[in-house]
Amino acid sequence: MSTKPPARLGLPDLGVGVGMRIPHYADLLDGPEPARMDWLEIISENFMLPGGLPRYNLGRALSRYQLVQHGVSLSIGATEALDLEYLRKLKALIGETKTPWVSDHLCWTGAHGVNLHDLLPLPYTEEAVKHVAARARQVQDILGVRLLLENVSSYLTYTSSTMTEWEFLTAIADEADVGLLLDCNNIYVSSFNHGFDPRDFVDGVPHARVAQIHLAGHTNYGKYIIDTHSAPVIDPVWQLYRQAIERCGPVSTLIEWDDDIPPFAELCAEAEKARVIRDEVARDRAA
Amino acid sequence: MTAPREPMDAVMAFLEPAFRRVDPLAGDAAIAGEVAAHVTGNSRLTPAEQVDIYRRQYWLRHLDALADDYPGVAHLVGEEAFDVFLRAYLVAYPPRHKSLRDLGCDIVTFGDGYAFADDVQAAAREMLAYEHAFIDLFDGAEPPPLDPQKLTSIPEDAWERARVVIHPLLVHRRVRFPVHRLRLAAKDSDAAPRTEPPALAPANLVLYRDDNLIRFEELDGTAFALLDALARGEALGPACEQVAATLDAAAAEQLGAQVGPWFQQWTARRWIVDVVV
Repeated sequence: MSTKPPARLGLPDLGVGVGMRIPHYADLLDGPEPARMDWLEIISENFMLPGGLPRYNLGRALSRYQLVQHGVSLSIGATEALDLEYLRKLKALIGETKTPWVSDHLCWTGAHGVNLHDLLPLPYTEEAVKHVAARARQVQDILGVRLLLENVSSYLTYTSSTMTEWEFLTAIADEADVGLLLDCNNIYVSSFNHGFDPRDFVDGVPHARVAQIHLAGHTNYGKYIIDTHSAPVIDPVWQLYRQAIERCGPVSTLIEWDDDIPPFAELCAEAEKARVIRDEVARDRAA
Repeated sequence: MTAPREPMDAVMAFLEPAFRRVDPLAGDAAIAGEVAAHVTGNSRLTPAEQVDIYRRQYWLRHLDALADDYPGVAHLVGEEAFDVFLRAYLVAYPPRHKSLRDLGCDIVTFGDGYAFADDVQAAAREMLAYEHAFIDLFDGAEPPPLDPQKLTSIPEDAWERARVVIHPLLVHRRVRFPVHRLRLAAKDSDAAPRTEPPALAPANLVLYRDDNLIRFEELDGTAFALLDALARGEALGPACEQVAATLDAAAAEQLGAQVGPWFQQWTARRWIVDVVV
């Protein structure tokens, strides 16, 4: 890229949101007023359905909140052809939700017709950069909204990798002209599992391309950490978040919690912590 | 940057089947060299142990998803036998759809050829088919509701040849075992584990969606036969004639008086979505 892109690629800062999960539907959708939440993230695949309760709840959520779509099935790194039927359904949902961008993971989810339903890391090679960037550009063109790619938690590294994960992410984002969804917990998890300094990752990505941040908890098994989304965000991840906001400026921030889901008030308290950090960084920048 | 040392395809070709292996890779000396050719490992984990993290998660994720969809089968066959069944299914039919919703798309076929314990074999297969029906019913498309104006505009003499359109998501089936009640028991967390084989209790079941909730209803044999004929696309007159032909004279005589109330009841429950003359 010869010119530096605008902050967040010109996408809006939506504030702090949470993932819309079934145990919180009563808090989010049933009360007389919307919950105090700037925005909600939905898993696209949960609503790419013809009817029934999921569609009913989507309609209720759209009447109250700004929704942003996050996917888990794009498999941008797979070597099989892009699934055009999936993209058609995804685009139809985008038309309904008016999501300002759509995100998915920088990963592969299967091969040879088998879908492993996992977010599998790619080898960090020039071959993979070219392959993924070409597909990401194509997906972004088809969908008609900005695509953000998210760094995944990983539990293995490849002998074939020739660059760091943040160099890989940067090369793809620049070549495809897509945005980034920076997951601070995933950075922490992978840094523990593979022995790098997570601050180098945050410093190393192209900050103007970061249009969303994810925060979540994980499970530490001693020899390795798994990204379980089943616990509060730990302090080192909050520190990475602060560093990211300092580098990127205010960015739409989302708390993910998918297992051992707590009462909604506890989730709101996590979101409030993110708000406080955003406000502190904003004051420091203004001073 | 240097040229890639290994094509992505080779990595995926090796790892895709490795991630869904039944047995751990760690400790398998025959494969250790091949794993190390692709995966680095680190000071805490060998390459095989790193791959095994994904392998364990593969099994946990898919077994959990299937257990959520088929609790009645687990209740009938027991948790241990259910786990063996699900693992055998996933080996025979690896996941190939993007959504976990479709993970069980071949499970009824697989179950038809699977040897459950003799005392639960028939009930387990019937339960599998019954529970599988919930999946499409849960999130299938809702057709437009029946227009009451249309009903009032149908001439009296046209009803004989009218085709009554049944809700496309409605499931109706005759069962030999009380799968609907057994499933409710299975979902009751306070329920005691089943100790006796299920007893035969034939029923004519209708499974339908009402206000986004899935409900069941038992019909008597005559009403069920008429619903079945209508669902097959028979016009109302011929459908009634077919059903009447299976009844004794007294029951056939009563059929005419029963059809009207059934029609009202089925319309109220949105089982009937259109009448085409």
